[in-house]
Amino acid sequence: MENDKNSQKIVDYIQNFARKHSLFVLAYGTGCGAIEIPATMTSRYDAERFGIRGAATPRQADVLLITGYLSTKTLKRVIRVYEQMQEPKYVIGFGSCTINGGMYYDSYNTINGLDQYLPVDVYINGCMPRPEAVISGFVKLQELIMAGRANNGEKYRENLEHYRTNQKKIIKNWKMPDYNW
Amino acid sequence: MNDLVKENKLLDTVINSFKIEGKVIRDCRVEVYADKNTVSSILLFAKNQLGYIHLAHMTCVDWIDQGEYEMIYTIYSPVDKITLFVKTRIDRENPVMENIDTIWDQANTYEREMREMFGIEFPGLIGEHDFILEDWDQIPPMRKEFDTHKYAAETFFTRPGREDAKDVRDEINKRSGAKVPEFAKKYSRE
Repeated sequence: MENDKNSQKIVDYIQNFARKHSLFVLAYGTGCGAIEIPATMTSRYDAERFGIRGAATPRQADVLLITGYLSTKTLKRVIRVYEQMQEPKYVIGFGSCTINGGMYYDSYNTINGLDQYLPVDVYINGCMPRPEAVISGFVKLQELIMAGRANNGEKYRENLEHYRTNQKKIIKNWKMPDYNW
Repeated sequence: MNDLVKENKLLDTVINSFKIEGKVIRDCRVEVYADKNTVSSILLFAKNQLGYIHLAHMTCVDWIDQGEYEMIYTIYSPVDKITLFVKTRIDRENPVMENIDTIWDQANTYEREMREMFGIEFPGLIGEHDFILEDWDQIPPMRKEFDTHKYAAETFFTRPGREDAKDVRDEINKRSGAKVPEFAKKYSRE
């Protein structure tokens, strides 16, 4: 029994180590923050040395990076994208707008606080966060993965009802497929 | 330096042809105030006869006190290098305006946006009713009686710490003890 536990630890360690070093980011830019991503990816800051790189489709991606404000219309698409992603999946909220609405806190059409609608692993503060801050956020996510605390896909499944209530409060015409994960 | 010759000439042409009011704002800026029924004839005249071939912008202003919407058509002539503003007022209770996307195709986009944001009807306008907003069940959001603060507070979740939304200028003055300039006092939230 003791032996099993230890071997599970080793398996977890290797698994987390591998996950940590290959974070595929979905190339889905919302708002103005997407302009920082090319700077982060290209030669000066070179995010690929941390294993961070782009992925073309939701099903190939690990990280959903919400770069900036989310209008209610975009939120619907983001939820659809998030639900298509395969576990393990992580969400990074990027910029003040995802944290508390930022300069759009009183807008009729942008949400305040992303974590009411999707489970967020890491928030990166700033308007806009510079590439150093973005990389720092990713390193924080890697620490969480290594510690085994980045399991928000599971959390989303367990609290689906709570998230659905909040989402349907905004998206009144809900015509989306239900996935059985 | 510039005695506004071409601007005055344009103004005279337009106001004499249509018997309307207008003025020269400054060099290269001329505005005329028209009745809502003559707007399309003015635009057609300016486009076909005077060479104002470019619809630069088209917008709406909500004058809630007077109970009117003001429609502003901004047209430009690349030959004269003059921007001509054609302004008209329409009733706020029953806002109907002539559709001009037969003159300029790009007016269609502006008109669809105005239909969604102000609720102005353009008879004969082609296009889906949902343009930018989705599932919108309130009054059009750009109308002045729409309370954006209240709507946002009711619909979205405010994060604790944000609800007081202090005025930056007031806070800075309070901490540093600086005097508030006279012109800035009317913008204060306190």
